[in-house]
Parts: sequence; C-alpha cells; structure tokens
Amino acid sequence: MSHIVIDEKRCKACYLCVNECPKKLIKISNKTNNLGNRIVEFDDPEHECLGCAMCATRCPDLAITEVYKG
Amino acid sequence: MVAECVTGKKVLMKGNYAIANAAIKAGCQCYFGYPITPQSEIGEFMSGKMQELGRAYVSAESELAAINMVIGAVSTGVKAMSSSSSCAISLMQEALSYATADQLPVVLVSVMRGGPGLGNIYPSQGDYNQATIGGGNGDYKLIVLAPSTVQECIDLTYKAFYLAFKYKNPTMILADGLLGQMMEPVEFYDYPYPEIDTTSWALSGAKDRSARVIRSYAPLEENQCVFLDNLFKKYELIEQNEVEYEEYMVDDADFVVVAFGSMFRNVKSAVKLCREKGLKVGAFRPITLYPFPSERLNSLADKVKKILVTEINMGQMVRDVRLAVNGKVPVLFKGKGVGAMIDVETLVEEIEKQMGGV
Amino acid sequence: MATQVFSIPKSLKKDVKYSFCPGCDHGVAVRLVAECLDELGLKENTITATSIGCSVGLYDFIDIDAIEAPHGRALAVATGVKRANPDKFVFTYQGDGDFASIGWAESMHSAFRGEKLSAICINNTTYGMTGGQLGPTTLLGQVTTTSPTGRNIEYYGYPVKIAEHIALSEGTAFSARVSLDSVANIRKAKAAIKKAFEVQMKGLGFGFVEILSSCPTNWRMSPQQAHERVRNEMMPIYKLGVYKDITA
Repeated sequence: MSHIVIDEKRCKACYLCVNECPKKLIKISNKTNNLGNRIVEFDDPEHECLGCAMCATRCPDLAITEVYKG
Repeated sequence: MVAECVTGKKVLMKGNYAIANAAIKAGCQCYFGYPITPQSEIGEFMSGKMQELGRAYVSAESELAAINMVIGAVSTGVKAMSSSSSCAISLMQEALSYATADQLPVVLVSVMRGGPGLGNIYPSQGDYNQATIGGGNGDYKLIVLAPSTVQECIDLTYKAFYLAFKYKNPTMILADGLLGQMMEPVEFYDYPYPEIDTTSWALSGAKDRSARVIRSYAPLEENQCVFLDNLFKKYELIEQNEVEYEEYMVDDADFVVVAFGSMFRNVKSAVKLCREKGLKVGAFRPITLYPFPSERLNSLADKVKKILVTEINMGQMVRDVRLAVNGKVPVLFKGKGVGAMIDVETLVEEIEKQMGGV
Repeated sequence: MATQVFSIPKSLKKDVKYSFCPGCDHGVAVRLVAECLDELGLKENTITATSIGCSVGLYDFIDIDAIEAPHGRALAVATGVKRANPDKFVFTYQGDGDFASIGWAESMHSAFRGEKLSAICINNTTYGMTGGQLGPTTLLGQVTTTSPTGRNIEYYGYPVKIAEHIALSEGTAFSARVSLDSVANIRKAKAAIKKAFEVQMKGLGFGFVEILSSCPTNWRMSPQQAHERVRNEMMPIYKLGVYKDITA
C-alpha cells in the first residue's frame, strides 16, 4: 500500500506539499510542533496514494522522510 | 639562469631565488601567485620548477585569489605558499585573518617596496606594521620572520614552513626589495625540521571518520570567547618558544642600535667603525618580528644608556622597541621614507651625535 | 509489498534540520546535491568549499569535509584544494551574490582555467541573509531594500546572466540553468547537478549549474506565490536550459 512518512519535527508549515499532492491527501492539521508550526498530516482513508513522491521531492525541509509505492 | 641548489655546494644567488629554492626543498607542493615587482622572480622560478617536479603552480587572477588558493591547499595538510609585495599584500589581509581564525599553516613571502598606495619599487621597510599588526579584522597574529642576508632567506623559509605547521598559524617571511634583488653566496642544505603530522585536522574526505569542517563562523558569543582564549594561549606559547634575535657587540655597550632586515647590514658596519673610534656601541636585530624580542630588549635597557632604532620607514618598529623598553632609557629614531638603506657614514654620524653626553 | 521510492539521502547528516526559512528552495537544492553525492558514491572522497550567505550552512547539513571560504572566494579555495589533491572531488555551493558579484573574478577565472571543479550557484535575485538587498541578479523593476523604487538601468545597470557567461569559457565542460519551481524542474535540476559532477569526475573541465530559487521571506510572498514569481518573472529573463555540454 503506497504511503508517506512525515517527520513532524521538521515541518515548517510552508504547505507546498499540500498543493503538490495530485490526490490532495496532505492536509493542514490542528497540531503544532515544537517550532510552533501548524503541521501537515497525511490523510488517506481510501488508499489513494500513488507513491509518486512529488510531495517529498517538493518538501524543502526533509519533513517527508519516506515514500512507499505499491 | 638560476644556479642549481645542491646541498653543501656554495652558489651565488638572488634573495628571491633563494626563497623559491628553499621552499621547494622544504617540500612546498603548491605555489599560487600574481606578479608584482620586486618579487616576481619567485613566481617566475616556481612556474617552471613546480611543473618540472609535477607539483602545483597556478598563475592566479589576483593576489586575492592566490592567497585563498593557498588556504584551500593547506586545509588539506599540504605545504603551499604565495609571495607578493606591499600594496598586493594589502589585498590579502582578509584571507590572512581567515587563515588565522581557521588555524591554517599558510606561508606567505612579503618582499617590501615603497608605499603607501602604489608607491614605487625601491626597497622599503614600510610594511612592518602591516606584517606584525595586520590589516585584517579581529584579534590575530602572524608569525613574522625577517631575514637580513640571502643565506637567511633560505634559513627562514625553511623555518617558516616548520613554524606554520607546528603552530597551525599563517607565517610570513618579511624581506625587502634589496634582499630580494641582491646576490650573495649561499649554501643550501636539506630541510632540517621534522615533518608535522596533519592527519588529526586536515581535510581528506570523510572516510572512516566523521566529517571535518574548517570554519571561523561562530554565531555564539560564548564559543567565540573560548576560541579566542585558546588562540591567545597558542600565541603565549609562540612568544615563549620562538623568539629569535641577533646581537652584535652588546655585552659592554652603552648605546645600542636596533634594526631589522636589510637595514641591519649597514648598522653592523657602522657599529664596527664606531668601535674603532672607541665608542661602546652594539647592535640588536629582531629576527622574529612576531614574536618580538621584547624581554631581551627590556633587559638590555638595564645596561645601556640610549637606544637608537633605524628603519627604512617613518617609524614603525620603534613603537615596539619603546613598548619593550617601557621608558627605562630614551629610544631614538633615525628613519628614511623609502629606498636605499641609510648609509654607514650617516649612521656613524648619527650615533656620534646621539652618544654625545652618554 | 510496497517498495521505498524516497528516502533521506545518506550524505546528509543524521537528524539534520535545515535553518532555512519556510518554503526556501535552498533546502531542495542541498538535498539534490546530497542525492547526487550518494548516487555517484562521492561522499567519502569529497571536499567542499562553502561560501558566505544563506549557503554557508551547507557544512551543517551535508556530512562531508568542508572549508568555509571568505565571501566570494569559494572557487579560489576550491582551486587550491583541487590542485593540491587532484584525486579528490571538490565542489562549491554559492549564492548569486557570492558567485556573480563579489566572487565574479574567481568564478570566471576558474572556468577560464578549466579547473576540474563543480560549482552550484543559487540565484534568488537578492542578498537573502542580509535582508533582501539588490544583488547582481536582481531583475529590472524588482523592489529590494536597496532598490526601493525598483531596479532601473540608470542607477543599477543590468542583471547578470550567469550560466550564459560561464558557457562562453573554453574551460567550461558543462553549464546549465535549472529551476526548482516545480517537481518536474526539480528532477531536471538534479540531472544537471549530476552532470556538473560527472564532468569533473571525468576530468573534462569546469561544471556549472545555476539554480533559480525562491526567497519567500525577502520577496514577501508565500512559498507558493514565490514559485509563481520564479516561473512568471525570472524564467522569461533567465531562460532554462543547457548552455554548454561538451559531452553532448
């Protein structure tokens, strides 16, 4: 099952990934990390993730640390 | 044609070629430079010799680039050098400050010419302050060695490489246009110092060890204070261990003439003439301009009545002599802006005049 | 069974956290450099000369030997490292101010000499770390803290087209301009960096990549808007492409 892993501590809330995901599976959460940033979360109840890694490629802060496909 | 430098064989050689040959014999692997009179022979000689030996030579786009290339090369533990003169040494001040902060064994030859500004190509000692005080930012010191003969150009070039690596500090050989251009008989010998191990700090690629960073950026106040405290502990050590000077007939002297570099040659002759006239005169020459032989000068001031400092500048080293003597005896100054060393007759006259009443 | 298609490059330091502003493309560029070092197996044989500006922190992020050059002198320092150690892989990572203003002589002459070095230059049309002043690449009309009414030719002259100039040198083996405004362009950027590294490895000459990047903080834009600016305002002037490739 395709999915991504987010390192919440690294997220700086630029939200570039939110716009990048072709399936709109990354959302702005209600959580805040130790940097004071309202972080993103991966929300894929229907297992739509393609494992395309566009989010990780776009993320400027290495906050999306792993992407799995298949 | 430069004479071949066979160990133990006496040859006639220019100061600039002596420095270049000594650097090669000291194991200098890289030379980076930009032409400027009166030291261009160093780069000219190196361009052929380094290629012949399969070592590195770069005709840099500027002195700014040249000294930074030296920084790059020595950061990997390799012996490297540049040479230049007065107004172009000015261009290198930033890099010297960095190299000091980075604790890198840069070797730089400065063959002084007239200044300020473009000045002229006559000999000068006008860069004593530039060498010992420096024009770079922050608290730092260069080790500064000042030869007064062509033979000493060899001796002190060897020593410069050794001290630079021993203390991981930029080291300057401060010569002048006279010394660079004149020929004297010299004798070469093999590099006499032990090779210093650089494997604990040199950059070589982070293989089987963690990555190394050579940097001076220290964003935290506390870290920078600790760094400077340690840097100055190193300077204390250099001041304890490395002071070098030459004395001539000072034992019973009432009057001592202090000079460095080429100027000391005439001072010695003047002292000899004064002795023939029955005047109790001696001469003193700092060989290391940093560390300066302050302690020895201070103790000499206990025995002599007056000190005369002579320099081919408007009075630079005289300040260090005054600081060393700390008011014990009058420290007089006889200088000349630029050009030929003050001649022996003038010196004798000056000494006789100043000794009146001693 | 799912296969891993993305991971943090091994050449980056463990648990690295960038100090760049949110949305800054420097983070992507550093990651691409690390990915290339990984893929070409260069990490243990590399020495980098970093520059001054936002790019200085490279040595805090990438796990390789590094020396911090004075402002503008990265390629001179790198030349010294490489000439003393021809078997090492040596690259610089510089901003446009460092590379194309204060360091222009060192940059151009490294290319003229055909130094076997690779240079990466981040072009974000401003001096970022000092607070967004006019730089060599600031676009005509662009408002910065030192061009309050926009860059005009009379006062400031023209912006520098770096990749084109580097390509003119006979010592240059590869020169390209890439952008990080989209995922597709990020992938092309990585290919260009790899090429600039490979020409050094093959001893062919100077390898150069100019990377168009965003600076949301000093442009006073959201990260998303900043990428639109790269696309709409920078790319028409700073055209993407390979300007020289002697292997092609």
